[in-house]
Amino acid sequence: MTIAPFLILGKRKKWLEIRKDLSPRAASLLTLASFLTPLALWCIISYTPFLWHPDVKLDIGSSGATVYTAGDQVGKDYYPQLRQEAREANDQLLSASQAGEPVTASSRANIKTLRALGPISVRNGLLHEGQLTSDADIFQLWRQAAEEPAVFRRIPLSEENQEIARQNWTILSDASETYDKATFPKEKLLGLIPQGKPANPVYLPAPHEVLLTGWEQWTRPAEDGKPTMGARLGQSIGIVFGGFLVAALIAVPLGVIAGSFDGISKLFEPFADFFRYMPAPAFATLLVAVLGAHHAPKVALVLIGTFPHLFLMICKTTRLLDRSLLEAAQTLGATRKRLLAKVVVPGILPQLYNDLRIALGWAWTWLVIAELIGVKSGLTEIIDTQGVRRNFDQVYPVIILIGLIGFSTDQLLAWLRPRFFPWVPNARKPSIFTRLLRRAS
Amino acid sequence: MTQPLPSYQEKSAAVKERFAELYQRPLELELNGLSKTFTKPDGSPVQALLDIDLKIHRRELIAVLGASGCGKSTLIRIIAGLETPTTGEALLQGESIDGPCSQRGMVFQSYTLFPWLTVLRNVMFGLEATGHSPVTAESEARQWIELVGLKKFENAYPDQLSGGMKQRVAIARALANEPRVLLMDEPFGALDAHTRADMQSYLLQIWRNVDVTILFVTHDLDEAIYLADRILVLSPNPGQVQEFIENPVPRPRSPEQFSSPEFLATKEHVENLIHPPEARSEPVNLPILKLTQQDDRVE
Repeated sequence: MTIAPFLILGKRKKWLEIRKDLSPRAASLLTLASFLTPLALWCIISYTPFLWHPDVKLDIGSSGATVYTAGDQVGKDYYPQLRQEAREANDQLLSASQAGEPVTASSRANIKTLRALGPISVRNGLLHEGQLTSDADIFQLWRQAAEEPAVFRRIPLSEENQEIARQNWTILSDASETYDKATFPKEKLLGLIPQGKPANPVYLPAPHEVLLTGWEQWTRPAEDGKPTMGARLGQSIGIVFGGFLVAALIAVPLGVIAGSFDGISKLFEPFADFFRYMPAPAFATLLVAVLGAHHAPKVALVLIGTFPHLFLMICKTTRLLDRSLLEAAQTLGATRKRLLAKVVVPGILPQLYNDLRIALGWAWTWLVIAELIGVKSGLTEIIDTQGVRRNFDQVYPVIILIGLIGFSTDQLLAWLRPRFFPWVPNARKPSIFTRLLRRAS
Repeated sequence: MTQPLPSYQEKSAAVKERFAELYQRPLELELNGLSKTFTKPDGSPVQALLDIDLKIHRRELIAVLGASGCGKSTLIRIIAGLETPTTGEALLQGESIDGPCSQRGMVFQSYTLFPWLTVLRNVMFGLEATGHSPVTAESEARQWIELVGLKKFENAYPDQLSGGMKQRVAIARALANEPRVLLMDEPFGALDAHTRADMQSYLLQIWRNVDVTILFVTHDLDEAIYLADRILVLSPNPGQVQEFIENPVPRPRSPEQFSSPEFLATKEHVENLIHPPEARSEPVNLPILKLTQQDDRVE
């Protein structure tokens, strides 16, 4: 299977010919490849630890001068230094106790050191999330870490951490075999040395993480007034289609009229031409001031972003209609009203349909900016709030979702086009996705 | 040439009689001192037509010939009402022409069928536009489609038809309105030679059976002489009537007449009018420089 494209490449010089159509088979393969290549690239970078992975994701955090909790990521260069600092702190404690002057610590500080074993135990399935502050349970884990370290199976403790566990357990078990607040030792416990695995930066989560988070987002029930993912998607679609529909409702009749009558064209087009250079987001604060902070200004922003372009495009489409069709209709006795209704409109309809498809694409590109203005809403609220918290695994599913919805709507419209306009010659040619579907079945 | 050609003005008795009868018929189309000046994009004027006088009788078939740019299309477009003359007037049955109307049907070189309508709907277009009910329009249209031999294709879209078929639909569409005059602007210019010959006999058959006067613009001399009663030759810059020739080729016409003496004489005369011998350029002799000499005797 992997060899097939190369076979075709070898057989046909056609691949390098200018403006030659490839065979349907080759075209389908390449279409598939155009999606699989970026996906494969993402997988390779994510799952091959030696390829990039400039960070280390900590399974055991640090409690020294700089505090990192488990799950945090540190740079690959800084990681050895962080470990070294922890070792040096432990060395001081050891040399003090060898000198016969063991350092004492508050029970709060020692509890903190005790609990540092929690997260890695959770990841090894030895502890529940809810037990992270249950000192009695964690106390027993220290015994396990000292006596049977093999129970830390999925993410083993490093040799030096096993040694630290043994030394600490000596101190702990001297006082009591079980956790007892009263007899909890005062001698300062050794800190665990930070340990972790190579990781990519937080802004590049792995595919499975994105997939799982996406699934989790969709199955998450609504809580404390926050809408579900489905409701958010509904809000966003409402803004995109609301703005697009209002733009189309004005631009189509106005564009057809302006494209047909030079007077109307001269009256409206120059200003539209000027207006489209003013970026829609520049009107954001104005729109919020006039229309409030919720749905209306967002729809209006999409409208402002799409309308002038769409209007001008429809004017041009109307003017591109073959003039001789109008002349033929006139010599057949058509009046002005009939020319507009029976020649201009049906004549431009297939192109108008494509214009509207393009405009719908623009509407989607305005979505994120529209949802940021006023009260943040819809899908963008997740992108914005989670992005600021650097939870990029929450951000990617939303971005991909927006792309998928926009793309599939457009593909659906492309697929419908020959059904709406059976007379358009190349409309009968199946789309690349129709062909892929046929190949698959 | 063994025998000298007769003069193009020599006509047989039958042809003379035919023209006498023809001139008895009422006037269909009249052009009086018609001129048209266009303004170029840079503002300078172009005289397209100058002082055209013309009288055309009922059911004549007139061919309009001339070098390219002599204003033949402008003339026919003025009669269609698609252009307005700068001075002078055009009359249809004595009434001044003002804008396009269904009385003057037109067939364009570029087919101009409505691509979104089937053959049947295309032919119905004019009938509906002139106020026929959809039911009558449909039955009328069916008859016209049958007349041009496209019954099997009435539900096809124009894109699915060949060039010749498209032009037959265009003719049926124009004739369905029963116009007084059918204006044809190089209608067969885009067709291949074979289809073109077929279309010419088609047109003659239709014209024989339909009460319509035809004005036919072409740059093909054979086509003009084969079809027309009279041939209007325009001279360029500005477009003026050079000669209005009575075609001596007798009717009914058939393709064998292409080599008849009257046909050849008329053709030679028209050829000399459009491309005067003194204006013809010398045959081109290519410099032999880069051309390799081969021994193969190709000529």
